[in-house]
Amino acid sequence: MIKKVLVANRGEIAVRIMRSCREMGIRTVAVFSDADRTSLHVRYADEAYHIGPSPSSDSYLSIEKIIRVAKQSGADSIHPGYGFLSENPEFVKRCGRAGIIFIGPTAHAMSIMGDKITARDTMINAGIPVVPGTKEAIHNEKTALKFIQETGFPVIIKAAAGGGGKGMRIVTERSNVTAKLRAARSEALNAFGDDSVYIEKYLEFPHHIEFQILADKYGNVLHLYERECSVQRRHQKIIEETPSPFITPELRERMGQIAVNAARSVRYEGAGTIEFLVDKDRNYYFLEMNTRLQVEHPITERVVGIDLVKEQIKIASGEKLTIKQKNIRQTGHAVECRIYAEDPERNFLPSPGLIKHITNPTGLGIRCDGYVYEGYEIPIHYDPMISKLIVWAENRNEAIKRMKRALYEYKITGIKTSITFLSRVMDIPEFIEGNYNTHILDNNRDLLKSRDQRCDILCEDIAIIAAYIDYTDKLNKLKPFRQDRSNGNSHWKGYGRKRNSVRI
Amino acid sequence: MALEIQLEERKSKVELVRKDKNFVEILVDGRLYKLDIIMVEEGVYSIIHDNKSYNVELIEGENSKKYIVNTLFKSFNIEIVDAETRYQLSRNRNLLGDDESTISSPMPGKIVRIPVKVGDKVEAGDTVIIVSAMKMESEYKTGKAGIIKEIHVREGDTIDGHQPLISIE
Repeated sequence: MIKKVLVANRGEIAVRIMRSCREMGIRTVAVFSDADRTSLHVRYADEAYHIGPSPSSDSYLSIEKIIRVAKQSGADSIHPGYGFLSENPEFVKRCGRAGIIFIGPTAHAMSIMGDKITARDTMINAGIPVVPGTKEAIHNEKTALKFIQETGFPVIIKAAAGGGGKGMRIVTERSNVTAKLRAARSEALNAFGDDSVYIEKYLEFPHHIEFQILADKYGNVLHLYERECSVQRRHQKIIEETPSPFITPELRERMGQIAVNAARSVRYEGAGTIEFLVDKDRNYYFLEMNTRLQVEHPITERVVGIDLVKEQIKIASGEKLTIKQKNIRQTGHAVECRIYAEDPERNFLPSPGLIKHITNPTGLGIRCDGYVYEGYEIPIHYDPMISKLIVWAENRNEAIKRMKRALYEYKITGIKTSITFLSRVMDIPEFIEGNYNTHILDNNRDLLKSRDQRCDILCEDIAIIAAYIDYTDKLNKLKPFRQDRSNGNSHWKGYGRKRNSVRI
Repeated sequence: MALEIQLEERKSKVELVRKDKNFVEILVDGRLYKLDIIMVEEGVYSIIHDNKSYNVELIEGENSKKYIVNTLFKSFNIEIVDAETRYQLSRNRNLLGDDESTISSPMPGKIVRIPVKVGDKVEAGDTVIIVSAMKMESEYKTGKAGIIKEIHVREGDTIDGHQPLISIE
């Protein structure tokens, strides 16, 4: 059994992993960069090692340094968390060579799933549906039309060398095919110096639904049901829930089985996630596999009652899975909101800075996985996510109400956060009805901005009064002490003076 | 004490009538408010007005007269406009003139790239500096055409929010 884990990560996920280690009686080793000396994971761990300057390329991404610390500290294993080195097969190999257990899949499984084209081919061979598309580049309209006849409209033309939305065209009717194909090819040529394009079926109103997988070293593979992750901004998830309000029990069964097959096809080990796109007619397609713990794993933990980090550690130690698929059930409903240090009113511009004050929500059904505290300065070098707020309730309706309550309680001052924005999402009718897809935030742009009407002149005046009082109090404090006492209006100061003398 | 306070575009006159500990009578543009206001935590005020409970948080801006004030639904920029501020404003206006502007970033970060150099002619909408913070890069563009007069930072520098980066004439 693993005895000492080096957590090659920072922030909330490092703390979350160490929590499970502590419950299991496993010692923990933190690594930190210059910027993270005061970070919570350093304070929480049993041991902490400095690994270099703030930029992650010189610290958290340095395989060399992390392996060295693992050896120096006598850690028998490394947990990579998510991001950083978690999906780097080279790192897995280096751990193996150094005789350190990597808590995650094999380098082989990781490499296959890490490459989009290989992963797609492997899935097709395993009989798993992928988004229909042409396998090779299209050079003339004839081949394009042939493909479109087979799949039907709409389709999307993508640049083979592509990325960043360049050379992309959505085609919805026959009369447009020629013109759009020409436009896409010329744009691709300009952007990438290569005019080859390929065509994929365009999924309208897609849902992003993923399945959690657990697999041991002995071929036992389980799924822990799905997570609905369709609320996204800039292709990044911000709210997740489970169970998905969109899929039916039959579909859940079927997709779960497919996810298990996908994991089997690469002889997967550990915790992983199979991501699917599901269209409005509930056709599902393999999108990709994440070969690590996901940010949103807590909602699954809450609903199925399994600690995923503990399972990861047990699997890596060589233990067999003791849970049986038939005993895994979803109980109640869980929702997660990701809290970012960013300004939703300025196009989600990052907002690093000093946390002046923080009130975490508490009470029935709340879990708050974070790493910041009062007086902590959020560094500019890393991801702006500061915490994850997870709520659980008997049913979906109650879970949403609880999330709204928790967001109302959650106060962070000193920096801008997405808290208010998230609570507005909770008010979107489509969200409340559970009838939404990945377009939800775009479709409700006005609703998400409509706060202006909600702060009337009274509310403005209140804000002005608060500023007036704060400013004048500040001025009074700057005045000489004697004057302060003579007007005698501050009982708090008197109290403070008394308290100070008592303390001494 | 009477103060002029600016909330976004709105200017208001605020005058304290009475103050007894946390009980305050105050005039805002002639409207009288009687309320109970108390700082409950650093930067957080609890206000009770007509038995309604409000929570307002104040984040101090670049100086002690500037605040970002968060109410439940909205966040405002608020500035105390006193004699000193007025003087400085008029002085800055004279100093800068109408034909000079300064590019700054509202957030701290790191300079990734400066695609211009001193003396370059730029058009409105041209990118003059790229700042990265928390894995995201933001491009800053000029609002009007002009000539790069001064570049106050270098590529790779770490910067504070609201720090002048580039002056354009």
